[in-house]
Amino acid sequence: MKISRNWLQTFFTAPLPDAQTLADALTFHAFEIESVENEILDVKVTPNRGHDCLSHRGIAKELSAILNIPMKGDPLREPMSGFTKSRHGEVSIDTPLCARYIAGYIKGVKVGASPDWLRKNLESIGQKSINNIVDAANFVMFNIGQPLHAFDAGKIGKRQEAIGKSEFRIQVRDAKKGEKMLALDAKEYVLSESMLVIADGNADAVIGIAGVKGGKVAEVNEATTDIIIESANFDGASVRKTAQQLKLRTDASQRFEQSISPELAAYGMRAATDLILKIAGGELVGFADEYPKPQEKKQVSVSVAQVNQILGTSLTEKDIADAFIRLGLTRKSYEMSSHRIFKVEVPFERLDISIPEDLVEEVARIVGYDKIPSAELPELKEALAININFAQSEKTRAGLIEKGYSEVFTSVFSEKGERVVANKVDGVRPYLRGNLADGLAEALQKNVRSKDLLGLKEVKLFEIGTVWNGGRESVMVGMAIETKQGGKITEGKLTTVNADHYENFPISTTERYQSFSRYPFIVRDIALWTETGTKPEEILEVIRKESGELLVRSELFDTFEKAGKISYAFRLVLQSFEKTLTDEEANAVMESVYKEVKKRGWEVR
Amino acid sequence: MKPQDVQRGHLHPISSLIREANKIFFDMGFSLAEGPLLESEWYNFDALNVPKDHPSRDMQDTFFIKNEQGNVLRTHTSNVQIRYMESQVKKGIQPPYRIVSMGKVFRNEATDMGHESEFFQIEALAVGEDVTLAQLKGTLARFFQELFGGTSVEVRFRPSFFPFTEPSVEVDMQLMEAKTSREAGSSPDASQSEAFRVPEKLRDKWMEMGGAGMVHPNVLKNSGVDSEKYQGFAFGFGIDRLAMLKWGIDDIRLMHSADLRFINQF
Repeated sequence: MKISRNWLQTFFTAPLPDAQTLADALTFHAFEIESVENEILDVKVTPNRGHDCLSHRGIAKELSAILNIPMKGDPLREPMSGFTKSRHGEVSIDTPLCARYIAGYIKGVKVGASPDWLRKNLESIGQKSINNIVDAANFVMFNIGQPLHAFDAGKIGKRQEAIGKSEFRIQVRDAKKGEKMLALDAKEYVLSESMLVIADGNADAVIGIAGVKGGKVAEVNEATTDIIIESANFDGASVRKTAQQLKLRTDASQRFEQSISPELAAYGMRAATDLILKIAGGELVGFADEYPKPQEKKQVSVSVAQVNQILGTSLTEKDIADAFIRLGLTRKSYEMSSHRIFKVEVPFERLDISIPEDLVEEVARIVGYDKIPSAELPELKEALAININFAQSEKTRAGLIEKGYSEVFTSVFSEKGERVVANKVDGVRPYLRGNLADGLAEALQKNVRSKDLLGLKEVKLFEIGTVWNGGRESVMVGMAIETKQGGKITEGKLTTVNADHYENFPISTTERYQSFSRYPFIVRDIALWTETGTKPEEILEVIRKESGELLVRSELFDTFEKAGKISYAFRLVLQSFEKTLTDEEANAVMESVYKEVKKRGWEVR
Repeated sequence: MKPQDVQRGHLHPISSLIREANKIFFDMGFSLAEGPLLESEWYNFDALNVPKDHPSRDMQDTFFIKNEQGNVLRTHTSNVQIRYMESQVKKGIQPPYRIVSMGKVFRNEATDMGHESEFFQIEALAVGEDVTLAQLKGTLARFFQELFGGTSVEVRFRPSFFPFTEPSVEVDMQLMEAKTSREAGSSPDASQSEAFRVPEKLRDKWMEMGGAGMVHPNVLKNSGVDSEKYQGFAFGFGIDRLAMLKWGIDDIRLMHSADLRFINQF
């Protein structure tokens, strides 16, 4: 989520530190920062804090606690009175998935361009300015986190005999099967019964997909004079499903998906109507607020001892109280059976705090994880269990390596098998393998080609891996060995025997991996007659020097003596890191080698 | 390549790392536990406090199995935690528990040099009456120190979120050469001397290792462990990533390439 430093500044009197300092503060005490660019922080809010932190206010609150800078005022701590009911509109909620719906009715607005400050704020976080009404609603969402929507009241059905009855009827209900809505993005969406819609009760028409997108039918544009503002609360899981099914994720749906407090709707409505009256004029007629089951107040307690017991720290009562104060968590502290206990009043927007451990995390991150000491686990008295499957795999591995087999891992995904993945992202090899043999056969074929490069006489591979067949998951040992006919593959179940200890098999002593060329290589042999006493190393040195970087492998493979002379045969493997080597290039290397060895008086056979 | 390599086969670097990690954790009192790769959603998600229809399930791209509702390819080795604790409770064995699990896990995502749809994970769990976040830090420091052979290791936590831990942290590690050995090295080229065992690329640099935290009480409850009495820590890291750091391997896809040009280097 994009957060603007300038926007954040509106929550503080004292000047905020630079954007990078803010990013570091968040990184070590709250959230990962994806990027910092031109005073804009891209904050990766974790799913547990989507309730309260997908807004500038949320991030400002965090920074206030982390940096210990007081906020000028917290919009969510302002007193909130009820809404004056208006006889003009009524709301009915016909679903348990909408906890609250507030409709605000404003008459006589002048739709037009947004003031500069508003347009700039929205543009700074990558939003497009549309008009003052839509922008005001969006601003409030990015400011305090409540998604809002504005309908053109002139396009919503009015009841004919309105005397004594409300003019508008807004319904929150399940969509009817096959019901359609042309949305603000000019696309038509076909809805299903599992989706929630906002309907115009008088016209029985869908005017919005709840928490996701508004309908074109009640779009606010230049001609609009009267508006209905929606500030509502929809069930997270329901919005998530709808957005997924319609492939329509919006800034609003992303916030509802995380579940937000129905209390926030009131703050959203208040902020939106205030802002609209200020920048678009008009007259506030009144509200309808349907809130059948108000959110209950929550208290969570944690003791000083518990905080330290979990973290392994020795924080004092004061340290802990300080973290709570900075986070704006109202608390009482009292003594119970010689334990100092904090009882915290959880603010309505902090839906994430419900158990003592949640408070421990709050303390830990505000105090700072760097203050957590490093301690060792105590010795265990009990004897440790030996995992016989692992012991057996290790024995098998060691035995096969001894016999010249090298260990490979091949993919569990295959072109055939009993079981099949339903949603494989790349679509290829969707089956779970029923054997190791197929993968090993493929691996053998591939590696035979590299034999000369690796200096192998024959390719021998093994794999210990999981397969699925006969309705079961089992661990198999497979071996592949190169033969004249191609390859021989054997496979059997890993059978275990009892073990009371792990054998001390060696680990790899390799220090660094060297990347290898992916281009084909060329093999050339060279045989030379030399005087007795000439060492092969001496010749190899000359060969290596002459062939340069293209020589990736060189070894002596044949020696014989005849009439006081020794013949050495060397195998040279040439390969480039940049391209496929041509025969001509390999010949050129060999020519320069021949030239040099002749100079030394060695005779090329 | 030495001539004797032609005779002996080679151990896959992942197996070497698992062998080494098992030894390090065994010495710290952790026994090795296992679980199935094809797992029920209960063990892979629900029991780990990852609710259905919750955005936290989106954190991991999951492979589902056709015509087997409720079965997935495990997205982490955390299923082993639940299975282990459950079986201990069933046997009437109360904590302390210390296990390490290492094995293949799956993520349904596009592959590139840094991402594979199948890779290996190492996970440890310690549960007891007084297992702390500080002990997590100490345990990790010792593991990294032994694995990477630095003379000094620093472990850093950053706040994070995982449904199965509370508090949750991201773990960073930094390998350092102790000041004393640097001063002791009289030659100007001290970085090449024996005292410096840490590869230069890894030295004095924070590296992201993976997620960790204190086991969420719901996870203990779901496994039948008394969460009022016991608490614990857990962490999970990618073994492939550890191997890549240890040996400077630049492409995770090499691990499943079955290519001896890679494997024979180990």
